[in-house]
Amino acid sequence: MAAGRRGTAAVAGLGTLVLGLAACGGGTRDGDGGGTLRVVGASDVDHLDPASAYTPWSAGLVRQFARTLFGVRAADTFAEAVEARPDVAAELPTTRNGGVSADGRTYTIRLRPGVRWNTRPPREVTAADFVRGLKRVCNPAQPAGARGYYTGTIVGMDAFCRGFGAVDAGNAAAIARYQNEHEVEGLRARDARTLEIRLKRPAQDFVEILAMGFAAAAPAEYDRYVPDSAEFRANTVSNGPYQITSYTPGKRYVLERNPAWRQESDPLRGQGPARIQITLGQDSPEVVQRQLEEGTADLAWDQTVPAARIPALRSHPNFKIMQGSSLDPYLVFNTLSPNNGGALGRREVRRAIAYAIDKAALVRLSGGPDVGEVLHQAIPPRSTGHEPFDPYPTPGDAGDPDRCWRMLVAAGYPNGLKLRFPYRTSGDHARIAQSLRADLKECGIDAELVADSAGTFYNTTLVTPADARAGRWDVAAPDWHPDWYGDNGRTIVPQLFDGRLYGPNSANFGGYDNDEVNRLIDRALAAGNEDEARRLWARADRLIMADAAIVPLMSRNQPVFHSSRVRDARYLPHFQTYDVSLVRLA
Amino acid sequence: MNLPEPESGPAPARGRPAWRRFRRDGQSVAALAVLALVTAFALMAPVWAAWTGHPYDATFPREGLDAGGRPVGPGAEFWLGADQLGRDVLVRAAYGARVSLAVGVAAAALATLPGVAVGLLAGYAGGAVDTVITRLLDITLALPALLVAITLATTFPVTSATAGLVMTVLVIAFFSVAGFGRVIRGQVIALREREFVAAARALGAGHLRIMAVELLPNLTAQITVLASLLVPTAIVAEATLSFLGVGVRPPTPSWGSMLGEGGEVFRTAWWLLAVPAALLLLTTLSFNLVGDGVRDALDPRPDRAAGRG
Repeated sequence: MAAGRRGTAAVAGLGTLVLGLAACGGGTRDGDGGGTLRVVGASDVDHLDPASAYTPWSAGLVRQFARTLFGVRAADTFAEAVEARPDVAAELPTTRNGGVSADGRTYTIRLRPGVRWNTRPPREVTAADFVRGLKRVCNPAQPAGARGYYTGTIVGMDAFCRGFGAVDAGNAAAIARYQNEHEVEGLRARDARTLEIRLKRPAQDFVEILAMGFAAAAPAEYDRYVPDSAEFRANTVSNGPYQITSYTPGKRYVLERNPAWRQESDPLRGQGPARIQITLGQDSPEVVQRQLEEGTADLAWDQTVPAARIPALRSHPNFKIMQGSSLDPYLVFNTLSPNNGGALGRREVRRAIAYAIDKAALVRLSGGPDVGEVLHQAIPPRSTGHEPFDPYPTPGDAGDPDRCWRMLVAAGYPNGLKLRFPYRTSGDHARIAQSLRADLKECGIDAELVADSAGTFYNTTLVTPADARAGRWDVAAPDWHPDWYGDNGRTIVPQLFDGRLYGPNSANFGGYDNDEVNRLIDRALAAGNEDEARRLWARADRLIMADAAIVPLMSRNQPVFHSSRVRDARYLPHFQTYDVSLVRLA
Repeated sequence: MNLPEPESGPAPARGRPAWRRFRRDGQSVAALAVLALVTAFALMAPVWAAWTGHPYDATFPREGLDAGGRPVGPGAEFWLGADQLGRDVLVRAAYGARVSLAVGVAAAALATLPGVAVGLLAGYAGGAVDTVITRLLDITLALPALLVAITLATTFPVTSATAGLVMTVLVIAFFSVAGFGRVIRGQVIALREREFVAAARALGAGHLRIMAVELLPNLTAQITVLASLLVPTAIVAEATLSFLGVGVRPPTPSWGSMLGEGGEVFRTAWWLLAVPAALLLLTTLSFNLVGDGVRDALDPRPDRAAGRG
């Protein structure tokens, strides 16, 4: 049920007209030598509450003031930067150190000392704060988009959340009362520094689930506010290196150093700049890029380097392409569409289309092979279960429209198909949609492009089963970024292809359902170790591709840039950004 | 009995002399020639596509883009360069010219009839009718046309390319009526006091007849000039809407949408911006010059003629 489409969507819309709104942030150096880091971008967070912040940049901001039990540390290489490490937890739990019980179902997590809230006076972060944080994941006001990871694993979380969902979402007192008077059976603060979590069944990726920002500790002060309300946003409490000292919604954040934070109790973050100023409202990635190059801003917030600018930057010392692991984009079929006599519900039609797409062209127009790599499988490289295989090979990945056409004719569609193709107008999505449309046309398929905003695309168009069944759309090119990397089988196949989860807001947009795949999902989630899970995910991938549930197109790497003032820029693939806390300013 | 002051007004019906005067105006003739060329360029769009072998919506990622995705510039394969998808800019500009000209002419034509009607009615009737109509026109003029157009386009997502174009035309026409109506009304107020109107009334002519037979022919010059000046305004309005992404729908090209797409990459591919911008500038300038020329030709007052170089 969790929808982890942490879209890279650069909100371009009216874009280029709204020049010069942003980045007038001045000061370069402050008294104590840290300086002000100037971050520029387009849109405000989806949520500021750790319990619900989901987009990569929101989660990246939340990470600076809300610490989790486990987390990642920014690094130059993908493998190093995605490895789960202890954050507030003293160590990674294993069977050997007693952190995981022999049956794999009980986690006992010891907290490290010296982690403190910036309250007056500063107060130690306790196991109870983590219990509160986990309970808040399914608060009725703004529940976590990925709460399924928690309800699916922790004993009693389901029942707790069902009851919580019935509480008046606008009443802070009622929310706090339910939260504090009801226990989650599997969650217990044994003492101030020991947290015990019991699982329904072993989940060898549970540390990754606890490393998501949703599971951050929450102070008792949060009980005063409706989660993620304006009051909440004005009163965040920090146990990280930075605290928000000023917030103008949609316009600006100012973060300053948290005096209660100590480097020795935080193995993941730093306290580089004295101030971090995030200026919003600049919709054009081109303008942001120009500001970074000219030095009037230091880092981008929610936009990447525009593809057209990449060739000129290749040898620039401040430019890098960081590895990623994503389906960005993939072509998804609405298998429930009644259009064309239900053609897309038929496997042979989808297989034909799988041959039609010129994937190499998409890579080229996205900036070349170091920016995007052609994808042949549902599980992208560097994600758990990825295996190199290509069930629909075409010469040079350029597509084979003739073969597509012959297969369509054989399937009984000599007059081709007429498809509705909603696309996002922002970023390079419009270009990708037009390229796909041209490929489909070569195969005799007339795809009608229907403009959509990034917002409605993901929260209405693709996730409304009634619209899918009415044939409001046939194909679309969404993107999917796994919620975490490393051991992340749970974040791809179950989210995108479990037919039992199809419904409103499901990320299984096309309603694909295959009993055998569903059984493999259950087995992989219950697997005893990562290797066994990996094999099962790979088998599911082959079945999904044999059904041509989607056409995987490209896995995208992240082109990143920073101003010349920025030193020690280290990357966080999870958040598609540099870690602002580790930056040093020249 | 007081006779109205004789005033210099629209000359009686004219034909050849006006054309002769227009012909003597070098700028206007050159502008007309440019418009003829642009029209021919637009009409021949399918010819360009066949000639180059590049349909307007076909992408040529291998020929039109380098390995890093940069569009190739003007050359033997793509005379005016390729765009970010490897499509032929020349062919797209020609198809874009069709959209721009069609929208410009259609919107101007659509705005003319109601514009003349309300202007004529308000100016001739006067009194309460005039007040009501003028206020309504003022209200329309006070609306931010661009914002209304964007709101309409995003609230009623159109389902086909033609429907999108028709809506664009309607929106532009609607907002052009008010300006048109006010100018005509002013002219009618001046005309209705003239002797020939009084004479017609004395002869027992009805209001409708006076408006249609006596006043309308005397407005021909203004209508022609206004309409010809409306065309470039409408072309720019369409370009603006398409630039903002609420006009024509991809892959249909329009000069505005080409500008919008090209603006992102003008630092690496100048031709994406230069080609549609030059065409847009040339066309609107020509329409304006032709409009001026028509006005001077139909209404050869010495002060005006002297005003032009």
